Amino acid sequence: MLGQVITILWKDIQTELRTKEVITSVLVFALLVLVIFVFAFGIGESPVNEVTPGILWAALTFGGILGGNRIFAVEKENSRLEGLMLCPVDRAVIYWGKLAGNFVFMLFVAAVVTPVFLALFNLPLFLPALPPVILLAVAGFAAAGTLFAAVAINTRARDIMLPLLFLPVAVPVIVAAVEATGLVLAGRPWGEMLIWLQIMAAFDIIYLVASTLVFEFVIEE
Amino acid sequence: MENLGYLLAAYTGIWAVVFGYILAMQRRQRRLERQLARLQEQLDRAGKTA
Amino acid sequence: MRNGKSAVRDSFLWGLGLLLMLAALYMVFAYVPTEKNTGIVQRIFYFHVPLAWVSFLAFFITFIFSILYLGKRAVKWDALAHASAEVGVIFTTLVLITGPIWAKPVWGIWWTWDARLTTSLVLWLIYLAYLLVRGLTAEPERGARFSAVIGIVGFIDVPIVFLTVNLWRTQHPTTIVFEGGLTAPMLATLLVCVTAFTVLYALLTWQSARLKTLEAEFRRLTMMQTEKEE
Repeated sequence: MLGQVITILWKDIQTELRTKEVITSVLVFALLVLVIFVFAFGIGESPVNEVTPGILWAALTFGGILGGNRIFAVEKENSRLEGLMLCPVDRAVIYWGKLAGNFVFMLFVAAVVTPVFLALFNLPLFLPALPPVILLAVAGFAAAGTLFAAVAINTRARDIMLPLLFLPVAVPVIVAAVEATGLVLAGRPWGEMLIWLQIMAAFDIIYLVASTLVFEFVIEE
Repeated sequence: MENLGYLLAAYTGIWAVVFGYILAMQRRQRRLERQLARLQEQLDRAGKTA
Repeated sequence: MRNGKSAVRDSFLWGLGLLLMLAALYMVFAYVPTEKNTGIVQRIFYFHVPLAWVSFLAFFITFIFSILYLGKRAVKWDALAHASAEVGVIFTTLVLITGPIWAKPVWGIWWTWDARLTTSLVLWLIYLAYLLVRGLTAEPERGARFSAVIGIVGFIDVPIVFLTVNLWRTQHPTTIVFEGGLTAPMLATLLVCVTAFTVLYALLTWQSARLKTLEAEFRRLTMMQTEKEE
């Protein structure tokens, strides 16, 4: 079963590597969000404050949604999902395969956008406390996002449906990520952000399990 | 009796919305009944010609 | 389709609901004494809080019936889930409206990001998406299935949202606190209001679900009819 998941993941990675269209546009978009929010908040040369971590997570969230819209797009356009369904694979395997692809994709985006963000605000680039925050948050985004993407792609308003479904549900992750990042940027001890990490971890586990269970109902027939 | 206006606004708002929903349901009910009557007519006519 | 007996039972239930609501109104406006600190505006509280609790109940019911629908696929389960979500969204909308109407004269602001109001806002958005998914899916059966999924995963988010927002609020406290002590008459009034609104919710949901079930049945018959003509 793990092999099947990896097959789906690898196929998606190869497809993306061929054109690199989606990754480039999402990266550019995320960087644009960073810049626009700086103008929107009129921050410029101000020191790092409470708003700063929010800017990073706005960029990663909206970039994640843009990427999320693409998760099932290829399958939908080519009616390949039916083909995939004819294979005797457990429906959950499809979910985990797509989830893995989404997760890797968003992690890559975060790996590029975060250093740029840190540099723009003259923050130290080496922050060992930051990766766990990003990992847990992106895992949550991927867990819920993959499920909602499968629903959204089958509605009449595909591109707008994903953010409508995803954003309210993802509120705990966004709040926790922003709070934890704020603590990291302020140089606070690890202990203080533990509770936020726990919230994200709980969200991740709950949504991974729940999505695995209900995914088959989304891609039926 | 300051702020009486706010109190009244809140309560009328609640009742307006609840009754609005009930009225909307009644309208849908009547429309369904009309559609059912039409369907019944069609079936009767089809029954007669069969 | 609606025989005499069930019509009588309906009228009885609606009459009961009306009586309860009148009792609640009496208690709110005539029985309970005015609160010392905030004046008569505080009476909004007696409807604002029950609306919040009952909407939470509504979304829980949607959660249950969504699971039942995915399991059994009977139209009536879906109709109940849908109806309950509709009433839940309506009640949550009222929570979000009455909250600011209460807050403005008392604290001078329309909105505060206090834990309960914020959670209500997120809940409202989650279940608006539930209703939109239904509306924006071409095939009704698919729409029902999708919303059932949303009804389930949306509800499990609720405790997480509440805990997170609560914690977030303690990190960035505001000066606004909705809490206050409850005297015995206040508690009694609140309980009567909760009961009245729970009954109102049940009546509205039941009526709406019945209507939706009939509409689905009608669609099915119409489809059969058009198939026969082809």
